[in-house]
Parts: sequence; structure tokens; C-alpha cells
Amino acid sequence: MSLEITEPTPVIISEERQVSDTRRELVLNMGPQHPSTHGVLRVRLTLEGETITGCDPVIGYLHRGVEKLGESKRYAQFVPWTDRTDYVAAPSNNLGYVLTVEKLLGIEAPERAQYWRMIMAELARLASHLVWLGTHALDIGALSMSLYCFREREMILDIFEKFCGARLTTNMMEIGGFSRPIPPDLPDMIRDFLAVFPKRQREYEDMLSANPIWLARTRGVGVIEPDVAINYGLTGACLRGSGVNYDVRKAQPYLFYDRVDFEVPLGTHGDVYDRYLVRMEEMRQSLKIIQQCLDQVPTDGPLKLAESNYVIPPHDTVLTTAEDMQRHFIWVIKGFSPPKGEVYLAIEHSKGELGHYIVSDGSPIPYRLRIRTPDFVNLQSLPYMAEGAMLADVVALIGTIDIVLGSVDR
Amino acid sequence: MSDERQIAAMPRPEPWRDTGYWGPTDPDAHPAVRAIREQFPDAYIDAYSFRDEMTVRVERPRYRDVIQFLRDHPDLQYTMLSDETAVDMLRLRDDPRFDVVAQLYSLRRRQRLRVKTGVNDGELVPSLVPVFAAAGWLEREIYDMFGIVFEGHPDLRRILLPEDWDEGHPLRKDYPLRGYREYVQPGFEAPAPRVRSRLRRP
Repeated sequence: MSLEITEPTPVIISEERQVSDTRRELVLNMGPQHPSTHGVLRVRLTLEGETITGCDPVIGYLHRGVEKLGESKRYAQFVPWTDRTDYVAAPSNNLGYVLTVEKLLGIEAPERAQYWRMIMAELARLASHLVWLGTHALDIGALSMSLYCFREREMILDIFEKFCGARLTTNMMEIGGFSRPIPPDLPDMIRDFLAVFPKRQREYEDMLSANPIWLARTRGVGVIEPDVAINYGLTGACLRGSGVNYDVRKAQPYLFYDRVDFEVPLGTHGDVYDRYLVRMEEMRQSLKIIQQCLDQVPTDGPLKLAESNYVIPPHDTVLTTAEDMQRHFIWVIKGFSPPKGEVYLAIEHSKGELGHYIVSDGSPIPYRLRIRTPDFVNLQSLPYMAEGAMLADVVALIGTIDIVLGSVDR
Repeated sequence: MSDERQIAAMPRPEPWRDTGYWGPTDPDAHPAVRAIREQFPDAYIDAYSFRDEMTVRVERPRYRDVIQFLRDHPDLQYTMLSDETAVDMLRLRDDPRFDVVAQLYSLRRRQRLRVKTGVNDGELVPSLVPVFAAAGWLEREIYDMFGIVFEGHPDLRRILLPEDWDEGHPLRKDYPLRGYREYVQPGFEAPAPRVRSRLRRP
């Protein structure tokens, strides 16, 4: 193995080729610094005139080796890293990882903590969909949408800040529940948001749903047939936009999703417009879930699993009792050792199925930590959708997959 | 409100047990395991369950055939490949070195199944791309991170690392966490010498 740095391959911005006497094709490099690629996605497009004949997404510009890092850290230490994978919906990532570790340990958080996890995960879904809506509309040409969406997202981020002190990389979930108490005025804050948001959402739909430019740019573009969507392993709105009914919250309920009443919106045509409608309806259903959770959540009770060596002991008893001080010391210095085994747990992230696969060898460090991010798999369908489409459609197609490059590249 | 309280008071099953999300926990009662055992008696190695999750291990040459059989079987219909990844078993066993792991999901029956196969360095694994298009990038990532070569993959290139990356495959257990060396960008000073970590980890 050579350890010398090889000369990097020069990036060709564009290249024109004469294929035959009548046909010329242009290889065009879109990104990684293109504003509509949501970060650092690079797409190598082959064009004939304005029609795309080849499309090759080049990813990895944001690769940080999160899985390798996870295999060097103790279980509880990795939670902050999950924020950095999909940073627009950090609580959902925390939830997926924490639930997987809890499954590996065979423990379950108390009821009240589970409800609050649901509320936070649904708020994260709303926050993520608002970023998607704003940037997707911005790419297609509706600049004002992004300003409106980020206004509402600000309210959600304020809720996160009230709850855990951070807005973007929240690190809010812990193995076994929550250490910090729920702020007393938090439910009212969320109820205020629930009261305001439906009216705002109707405003967005007034601006987009019947807008002729929006319809022309999204209808019939990027059609995915249901069987192709399944074959590509698409999940989330990309799959449901094609009419396939798969939502992990309904199919394999985790937390208390079997206790709340909500519906799974499905598209019929599988184009960009249907996926837009599906996500808009998902936001409405999320509000419904949050409302029911707020009604059902117990107002008092434990937020954290007690008397488990897998869970960090509560702060006040650590300072007063010798047993908890010892447990705390062991937990921090050595970590906990889960049983040997392997678990895969999928949750419904705002972008699709977020799966964590953990192989444990009985040591305090995961032997293998695999993160199956939804947008990595979903992005794979971009060449299928783009081939035969127009150059201007590519920004709509990238937007409709709803990628976050931190999550694609990990 | 009383209804909701009643629902909330319903006894919850023991955490992570008998969810039925992966089918029966007894391998002998699991329909997919039984079907594989009947159809591929020479390729079936064993099946085991942990936290209600069923894992089937099969021989490498029939890996694709087993998964295609699971997809096309009318009673099983594992029509979706949720995830495909690999595990480097370097410190856990001698032979074979890697596990290639496929997580299947049946949309119709709402059940999952995990299929595993072992592979040594330099051996070929049948690619799943002819069965599931989703395997395309997932297998490229496995090749990138572990150096496992898939037979029949149409486009096996590096995906997350640069194309000219020549330091091997980072998710292997013998690859150091911080890499083999530090890169000095032209025009910048060399970084400070590496501080040895307090915790000695391989």
C-alpha cells in the first residue's frame, strides 16, 4: 500500500463531444458548489441539447466517517454525533439511535418520556419539512416561500431551545429517557405553535398548490412507478408519493404511535407534485399527533428509567447517595456493556426509513454501527428520474428527494 | 379522555419482545427459515433470534439466489431491500472474515428478515443488483468501506471516498481510526504532531 499522495484527478467542468455527424453531447458538471444542490452534491450530467441522457451523482464531499467514529466511542458518547448526520432533523436521529441502543439493552423508557420523544420527533419532522419546502420552492423560483418557512421553523427551534438548550444540534435524547425536567411552560409554547401553524400552512398552499408556474414545474416531472420505487428501496414521501403504503409508524409502530390516530397520505402519480402534496399532508398529520400526545402525556411521573445500570443516575441522588455516585462513576468512566448480539431498528424519519444496525461484542463500544440513512438510498433514484428530463428539471428532482448531504455522506 | 386513559392503562408487552415485527422468534416456526431450509438445504447454515430479530446465515455462492427466492416466494414476499452492509469480524472469529448483511422487508406482511453471508478477503460475493436496484449504491459503499468485491455489479466504484483514495478501506478493523497519515495541504504548515490517545483502542 502506497502512502504517497497521488495527484488528484482534475475535475472537468464541462466537455463537449461530437458523438456522430448530427449529434453532439455535453458533459456538464453541476455542483458541488451549486446553490440548488442543498450542500455539496455534485451531479455529472450528460446533455444532448437540453435533454439529459446521463446522470451520475458524485457524493462524499461531506464524508466524515461517522460510522468509524461510532465504533470508537462508548454507546452514550455517540448520541451527539447522530445530530451531525441529518442536521435539520436532529431529534429524529437521536431518537433512532437511542431506541436502537435501548432495544439492544432490552430496556424501555418510562411512558412520559416516550410521549415527549414522540412530540419532539414530530416537531423535528415539521422543522425538516419546512426546510424542504422552503428550499425546494426556492430552487424552482418561489423565493418568498423560503422566508415564510424559516419564520415558522424559528418557532420550532425556539421550542427545542426551551426544551434542551440547543437549536440545531440538539442532543436531546438520552438512553433511558430524559435527565432534564420538562420546562413547565413548554406545553403552552407547543400549543401556541399548533394554534398558529395550520393557518400559516394554508397560506403556503394558497401560494403553491394552484400556482401555474409551480404546477408546470412539478406536475409530470420525475415520475417513479410504484414497483420501481420499491425496487430502488425508496422510503418516506418518495415512496408514498408513488402510492405505496409504507410508513414505519404504521407498519411497525415504535414509541406510542399505535395509540395516536393519524393517517398516512399517499400520492397517485408519483411525480414531484404528488410528493409535495404528501409532505404537506404529513405536516398536518404531525400536528394531529402532537396534539394527541399533549393530551395523553402524563403531567407527572418519571422521565428516566431508574435503577438500571445502563442509564446515567439522576443528578440529585448522585450528589447525596453513595450507590448512585458509584454507579455514575462507573457509567461515565467505563460505560456499560450490553449483551452480545445485533439489532436493526428502523424509525420513520422525515425523509424516510432511518435504520440503525448495531453489532455488539459485549464491550462498552459498539463493534459495528451502521446508519442506514434514508436520503442516501433515495438519492440513488436521481439518475432514473433525470434521464430523459430537461436540464431545468434537475433542481426540482434534487429538491423532491429531500436530501441533506450530511446524512447522505455521513 | 377516559378512553385514552384506558388505552394508556393497557398492559404493554415486555419491551422489545414478541412484537412480531420479525416473525416468530423460533427458527423452526419461522416460515422464511423453513422455506430456505427446504429450498436450499446445502446453502442454509443456521438461523438465530436475538431481541425478536431473525437472522439467517447462508453460504456465499447462493446468497443472491436465496434473496431472490425470498423476494419471489408468493407467501414470503420480501420485496424491499432496506439495507445492505458488511461487518468486519476480525476480532470475533477467524474465518470467514467479513459478514455481508442484507436487511429485507416485506411490504405485504410487514415483517423483516436479516440474511447474512460470510466472505473472506479476496472472495467474490454475488451482487444483489439484478434483484434489487437499491443494492447499487449500498454495494458500492461496502466496496468502498470494506474492499469486498461484488460479482455482477455493473458499476463498482468508490462512492464516499475520492476515486483516487489509495489507503485502503476505512471500516476494516485493522484500519487505524485516524488513518495512516496526515495530509498536508500545499501551502500550509504541517500539523502539530499527533497526540497519543489516553485510551488505547485498536
